[in-house]
Amino acid sequence: MNTTPPSEHDIHAYVDGHLDGARRGEVERYLSRHPERADEVHAWRQDAQQLRTLLAGDLGTTPAQDAAMDPVVIRTQRHGRRMARAAMAAGLVLCLALGGIGGWVARGMGNGSSAPMADAMQAYQLLAVDHGVGMDITTGNEGDLRAWLAGRVGATVHLPDLADAGFRPMGGRLFATDQGPAAMVLYDDGNGHTVSFYVRPPGAARHLLPRGEREDNGLLANYWSDGWHNYAVVALADAAGRAAAQRVVIKSI
Amino acid sequence: MSDPRIDEALRPMLPRLRRFALWLARDPHAADDLVQSTVERALSKWASRREDESLRAWLFAILYRLFLDGNRRASRYALLLGSLREAEPTWPSAERVAIANSTLAAFAALPVEQRSLLLWITVEGMSYQEVADILEIPIGTVMSRLSRARRALRLLGEGGAETPPLRLLK
Repeated sequence: MNTTPPSEHDIHAYVDGHLDGARRGEVERYLSRHPERADEVHAWRQDAQQLRTLLAGDLGTTPAQDAAMDPVVIRTQRHGRRMARAAMAAGLVLCLALGGIGGWVARGMGNGSSAPMADAMQAYQLLAVDHGVGMDITTGNEGDLRAWLAGRVGATVHLPDLADAGFRPMGGRLFATDQGPAAMVLYDDGNGHTVSFYVRPPGAARHLLPRGEREDNGLLANYWSDGWHNYAVVALADAAGRAAAQRVVIKSI
Repeated sequence: MSDPRIDEALRPMLPRLRRFALWLARDPHAADDLVQSTVERALSKWASRREDESLRAWLFAILYRLFLDGNRRASRYALLLGSLREAEPTWPSAERVAIANSTLAAFAALPVEQRSLLLWITVEGMSYQEVADILEIPIGTVMSRLSRARRALRLLGEGGAETPPLRLLK
């Protein structure tokens, strides 16, 4: 008499009704001698039968569902989507091209001669005109400010002594720029005139500025370079501002 | 490539795919989306299908992978959003669907792979080889996983519907 238990495969095949007569008989004989195993296998059979019956109801679909799943409908949608995607891709290429050209032009503008030290003017606008941001360091002590600048922008930064010109430092603030950390120190003459001293590294391209002056949006910027950093002095572009900037620039360079 | 023969071959499979999707996603809308994505994928990959491959197994495999990919993506987003909870909760709509039958409730509470195995084999009547192809595992592994799935269904079903997930933890 054969006593080897049927394989796992045969047990499952028995449960699922896949066995032919001879092997089916073998499994049945084995189970009749092993009632515990038989209980489990018959329960499995029952479960399978039940699942089949219970899930049969889930095969029903509504006409709307049939339509949504239909290959013809999906193929049409897919075609429409592909056309839309192609249109979008074409638009994207156009945008990239325009943006690229625009960016190239803007690059020439920001970098070159037309708007040097625009960041210095924006910084002045932000701190001295709009009072939109506060100072990182508030002190009238030039030694402290020098140490602060040396630690953050560079040891070679030359902070001017403007006491002779009637200006005293009030504090400073750091800015992040593409070229590296920049700093601005604000000076005040006690009569409501504020002048900024702005310093920024030349950046990886070592773009050093020639001495120059420009006005923009009511602000006056004087700028120059000492070979290591680019500097700017920014003031309001009115008579008092011009005079103050003049004195500061003479002392700074 | 709009071959009406492809459409004719696909159409009879759709209700079965939808039933599978329904028991995977456990949400009618998600199930509809899954079936539509499956048909779309099947149409675009029709040429790459092996001739000897069972169409049914091929379609079920596509749907199953789409579902798993979607789950994985969902859990990635959940991680990104800082939520550490499992992406696959145990049947959230158990109450909504009102599963009166304890076998059905147990079936719903099974892990995704066990649920899929039982549906493919006992309900769809697929061969063990077809299932092995879908899961890309040896047929012997299908057998042992099927045993585990059947035992889990028993265990969950016997305990009634009270606290099925706890029983799995032993």
